[in-house]
Amino acid sequence: MQKTTCKSSSMKELPEDLPPGCHGPVTVTAVAGRFSCCMESSAADIPPICNWLTTRQGYRFASIVIEEMEEEWLAHYIFYSDNGQGPVSISTRVNKADKALPSISHLIHAADWHEREMEDLFGLVFEGHPRLGEFVLHEEWPEGTNPMKKDFDATVPYIDQGPSSSCSWHPPSLVSESGAFMMPIGPIFSGFAESAHFLLETVGEDIIRMIPRFFYKYRGVEKTAEGLPADRALLLAERFSGTSAFAHSLAFCHAVEEIWKTRAPRRAVALRVMLAELERFRHHVAAIEGICSSTGLVVAASQAGILEEDILRLSCKFAGHRYLFGLNIPGGLQRDFSDSECLELAGDVKKIFVKLQDMEKRLRFSSSFLDRLEEVGTVTMEDAVDYGLVGPVARASGVAGDLRTCLPYGDYGSFEFSVPVEKEGDGYARLRILFQEAEQSNNIISQAVSSLPGGGIRQPLSPGARPAGAALGWAETPLGATFHWVRLAEDGRVARYRLTTPSFTNWHGFHLSVEGFAFQDFPIILATFGLSNAECDR
Amino acid sequence: MNIPILLELFLLSCAAGILLAMAVPERYAPAVLAWTASISSAVILIAGGIGLFTNQSFHAELWRISSLGTLDISMDRLSALFVFMAGLIFLPVSVFSARYMQRYSGRYSLRSFSVFYHLLFAAVVLLLIAADALSFLLAWEVMSILCYLLINYEHEKQDNTSSGLLTLVMGEAGFLAVVFGFLLLAGPTGGLDFATLRLNAGAIGGATRWVIFLLTFFGFGIKAGIIPVNTWLPKAYKAAPGNVAAILSGVTLNLAVYGIIRVNADILPALTAGPGIVALITGSLSALIGILYATTEDDMQMMLAHSSIENAGIIIAGLGAGMVFAAMHHPVLAGIAFIASLYHMINHSMFKTLLFLGSSGIELKTGGRDMNRLGGLIRFMPWTAAFFLIGALSIAALPPFNGFVSEWLTLQTMLQSASLQSIPVKITFALSGAALALTAGLAVTCFVKAFGMSFLGMGRSESSRRAVELPWSMRSAMLFLALLCIVSGILPTYIIPVLDRTVTPIVHESAVDALVPPFFTGGRGKEKLNKAFAADFHKLGAQVGSDVLPGRGLVVLHQGGKRNPVVFAMSTSYTFVVLLLLLGATMIMLKIVVRRQKVRYQPAWDGGVRKLLPGMTYSATGFSNPVRVIFNTVFHPTVTIETGESPVGHFRTAITMERTEVHITERLALKPVVAMLKAISARIAAMHSGSVNTYAMYVIISLVMLLIGERFF
Amino acid sequence: MSGWVLKGLKTGIRTTLYPKVEELAPGVSPGRPAGGRAAGNKKPAAEACPVDAIAVRDKQVSVDYDRCILCGRCLPPAGASGLVKPAADYEWAYKIPRDTVAAGGAGVTKTCSHSLHIKVVDGGACNACLSEVSQLTKPYYDMHRLGFFITPTPRDADLLLVVGPVTEHMKLPLKKAFEAMPEPKAVMAVGTCALSGGIFGPGFAAGGGVKEFLPVDIAVPGCPPPPLAIIHGLLMAVGRKDPVPSPTSPGPGSGMEAAK
Repeated sequence: MQKTTCKSSSMKELPEDLPPGCHGPVTVTAVAGRFSCCMESSAADIPPICNWLTTRQGYRFASIVIEEMEEEWLAHYIFYSDNGQGPVSISTRVNKADKALPSISHLIHAADWHEREMEDLFGLVFEGHPRLGEFVLHEEWPEGTNPMKKDFDATVPYIDQGPSSSCSWHPPSLVSESGAFMMPIGPIFSGFAESAHFLLETVGEDIIRMIPRFFYKYRGVEKTAEGLPADRALLLAERFSGTSAFAHSLAFCHAVEEIWKTRAPRRAVALRVMLAELERFRHHVAAIEGICSSTGLVVAASQAGILEEDILRLSCKFAGHRYLFGLNIPGGLQRDFSDSECLELAGDVKKIFVKLQDMEKRLRFSSSFLDRLEEVGTVTMEDAVDYGLVGPVARASGVAGDLRTCLPYGDYGSFEFSVPVEKEGDGYARLRILFQEAEQSNNIISQAVSSLPGGGIRQPLSPGARPAGAALGWAETPLGATFHWVRLAEDGRVARYRLTTPSFTNWHGFHLSVEGFAFQDFPIILATFGLSNAECDR
Repeated sequence: MNIPILLELFLLSCAAGILLAMAVPERYAPAVLAWTASISSAVILIAGGIGLFTNQSFHAELWRISSLGTLDISMDRLSALFVFMAGLIFLPVSVFSARYMQRYSGRYSLRSFSVFYHLLFAAVVLLLIAADALSFLLAWEVMSILCYLLINYEHEKQDNTSSGLLTLVMGEAGFLAVVFGFLLLAGPTGGLDFATLRLNAGAIGGATRWVIFLLTFFGFGIKAGIIPVNTWLPKAYKAAPGNVAAILSGVTLNLAVYGIIRVNADILPALTAGPGIVALITGSLSALIGILYATTEDDMQMMLAHSSIENAGIIIAGLGAGMVFAAMHHPVLAGIAFIASLYHMINHSMFKTLLFLGSSGIELKTGGRDMNRLGGLIRFMPWTAAFFLIGALSIAALPPFNGFVSEWLTLQTMLQSASLQSIPVKITFALSGAALALTAGLAVTCFVKAFGMSFLGMGRSESSRRAVELPWSMRSAMLFLALLCIVSGILPTYIIPVLDRTVTPIVHESAVDALVPPFFTGGRGKEKLNKAFAADFHKLGAQVGSDVLPGRGLVVLHQGGKRNPVVFAMSTSYTFVVLLLLLGATMIMLKIVVRRQKVRYQPAWDGGVRKLLPGMTYSATGFSNPVRVIFNTVFHPTVTIETGESPVGHFRTAITMERTEVHITERLALKPVVAMLKAISARIAAMHSGSVNTYAMYVIISLVMLLIGERFF
Repeated sequence: MSGWVLKGLKTGIRTTLYPKVEELAPGVSPGRPAGGRAAGNKKPAAEACPVDAIAVRDKQVSVDYDRCILCGRCLPPAGASGLVKPAADYEWAYKIPRDTVAAGGAGVTKTCSHSLHIKVVDGGACNACLSEVSQLTKPYYDMHRLGFFITPTPRDADLLLVVGPVTEHMKLPLKKAFEAMPEPKAVMAVGTCALSGGIFGPGFAAGGGVKEFLPVDIAVPGCPPPPLAIIHGLLMAVGRKDPVPSPTSPGPGSGMEAAK
């Protein structure tokens, strides 16, 4: 925690210690909100500092947060690393009339979509970013509509706010080959896939370039959350992505608890770990089911489907909700579980895990299945790093980033578990990661129930002592790292809520895996990524 | 009317066409061309018709050159058939040209086009009625040069000049080969008229026969574009104006078939199966390779050109089969094979000309032939679409259209090889049959693509969304050909006897009763029915020979088995009737069903995108890409994909994909030969040392070798 | 391959017998707060409800299931005596009567009673509803046994199953899908979001449910409704379960009047 802080906090030594190209001044602001270091610099210094952090200091890009203040734009660039220290934030202020920030995405490609999103939602311009057209807001939104701005009325349906344009989206074709065309997929898919639109640029058979179009499911969660009391905003955090509800509500609770300077009781922390792992376990079984059915391996898909429903029923029996909704609350958990209930749960999970292991063994010898996964949808480690991929997808490409070990939260530090990493980066590697992580989840659940601390499960909040402030909450969702940046006002209402989700991060790099492969591999690669559009679109 | 007068009339009208073209103002030249050439076609149609349908034949001696013998012209049935076909194709193409040639107005000389066009027509007819090697070769050479001039009509385009030159070079190579062939054929006796050649043919030895066959087969074959001498063809067709391409494919391709039949079946029939087998293999390979390249080609005229190679392959394969059967003393089967081959040639002339006219029309109205940039034309050019569809269905060999009849016959002929003795020959037939079957399958893909990508879906370019229907004169030309396609499709039983009479002089036996027996006709027809054949059926209880259905509606390939007859029969006439009934019944039923219900029209389901753009629909390349992938070894492409990225970061700016293909025959046959020739010339060049002594030595060595040669041979 | 077949045979039949036999396995449904007349003070429970789905008047508690998100905050700890929470209850679907008899829903009931083709459209759901819908095709629920099939194109569909609050961006695709369906056709809204917009809408980007612009025939409340509730809705759509009217009248007030 100290190294970076020392370097940057010893302001007297600047600018020698500052990254090249940086003019200063860089000041260190109060360390707060679970950051290990908060810096502030001029806008022009942002790119060199960010570059220095990622290339020299080994930090990984997490998110960009824009706040609209009275007079200025306040931008926070958030980074994290696995060096055992907390995340780092660099802030900058820009005059409100300026609307321009320097782009960092040519240095840190992971920031690409963040900048595009901010451009759409705030009307900011990231200078140096090759603006690639509309992103969050589709063509029906008139130019100059920026819903995240304070003066935008979020309660009225948009349709009433202006005429919708009749133009249609037509991304420029990059493939210069006669006969190249764009094969459209979606937004309404054939089965029960989530709404999203893909254009596959191709001359037939092989996908040369994939152009994704998301935010069909854009529900404006960040905007809707503004002005809501924290416990109401929690519902949004929990339910914007139903299949990883617990992890997201956990991250939100972490942020709120940090602002309110409260800590969940030890029993709640342990139970949270157990429930989060239960969710991961369920999610991974569902993802395995998806992969099996995408390859047409019906029996295996059915087997995994049975296990998935078993876990859903188990969750419902145990926690009262099949998707573990309504359990987290800032300060702890809504309800307690008896030790015997937890032991029974661990036993049941173990039983399901044994069946899962049997399945894995069988899958490993199903050559027709492996043929469709091996060396399909490969993402190289280099690309995974450049695109800042997270979660099982990144770990399958050899990038061992797991917030449970990078930025330990809860009491993950007290459990023995490993973060599986594979090198190949293909579909099969991603499948193996899913199986191994399910195993680790099972381990953690057994460890958690065997040493459940006693005590309460909810820290009562004193109504008076609710300071305003901002904090970053994070959690490793089943799909990877999520960051919930929350600013609460004095009245306990949300002033700004910024959600960075693993699906958003990974969809950005998804095209790497499909380009060069045939059409018929597309659904399989899609399944091995197993991303959620609800989580991406928010 | 008799033939000589008609021929004179024809030559006169051609000459009139030439003179008028010179006389009238430039802009009227196409219209004049349409009139004079149509009149010439009509005249020659009558002449050919008389030769074909009556027993009139014609022979005349033009003049006598003391050292070379006489220059003869004659019109036997074989000539008459080809002359008739030439007239049949020249007629609609000439009508079509009237408006089509307007596009060149002001850019290229319309006069010279008219002159070349008429000269070519005259040369073609003279070639077909030439009755001696000399006039034949003269006409061939003139025809070759005129083809070159017409192909290279748009001479200001650099590409065209080089493909024109290639055409000329390959044409001359073929011509030389044919000249040598005829020299060998004439041998020491010196008589050059076909009758003398035919008489003396028996004395020619086996090895010489082989040489003559190879020289003439590939020499003539160049004009038909058979492998491995096909490289010029797609390039020439690409460069040629659309109507010239139609003539090239509908008329001059037939000349190659004529030459091969005339020399290798008529004058010098093969005594062994060998030449036939060579023709069979060459033909079926040409067909397969032709259709593979046609399927993957996106330029419509190029696609049709490759398809011409395919069809030439089918024709040649049929000829080869006939030659094998003839050499192995199965005259009826040989007759059937020749009939199938000629039938396919006729059909190909019809539907390919129709398709070429269609593609020219599209090019005229949209400014392009790249199918990737066409689409949705059926809304703007419904008539053209209908005619093109008939052509496409015909060439894809779907009943009841004409392509089906001839391809069915050809494939069935391949199956008749069961009656041959030699196992290797049988295997060759089986493999060729398989190749032809695959070809037929791919042809469907190819023309589904051609029609679908051009006429259906959404217009993929601005110009294709602004197209308008062709003028009536052009449509009427296509209508004429479309009707021919249908008629020759549903009435094969009336065309087969005509063809049979054409090939009977060659195979010395009629196949008509075997092929179109009066199957269900009683009365007079009954006597005609082969007794053994009928007996086979009576044993089975089939009422063959009794009055059941009118007319000779059935094409039959009969293979009398030991215990029961194996019959392969097909009737497009009945199919057509049934099809009409079915279609009518369906329409009526649909009307009845729909009358009670409200019909709602909705656009095709597009997954819910705001607007489906033309760029989001399948392109022609995309449609045929599976073929490209499956037959990757044939196409052997070099593909490079380059991704342009921003100087820093991962923003892509462009993806360029380059795919270069060298045609398989160019890659495997032409390139090595050229390389070898180059190496040899380099060696020979080394002999030119410049020293007088060396040259003196060469002279002495040659002299010695000559003397030795003289002594021993 | 044969190993898989054996494995499948060994696993046996896991499919529920619903609707012939009531499914009683634990965990098939999270249950939901019950309304009705109840003893004790229910005000704290009503106040704890973050989506104002609970109204209390004269000891009469009414729950607006179109809004209830199953958050559980009204459960006993919320007040001294919270609401009861019946378990193993999942027949939640109800039918919305159409104004005209000729409209699609009735036609589907008549013509598709034994074979119903369903087009699923995601109108911006959180994924939980979609996950529950996808369970229907998996062994435990296997809706194919009941003649229900998912179809890839609306052209073949009899019933449009919509999940999610219907975002601005999905309005047009959803409308196009509905229009592409042949008559007769029915619409089924699955999940709280699809019925009322849930916690997301109505807002600037998320709509207030499907019925804002499509005629909904069958509503399946729940956040998410368990698979059996969806099956219940499907059976009701084809007339194999008796149509149930909406358990709550439009406003909490009028519901009470009916009870009186």
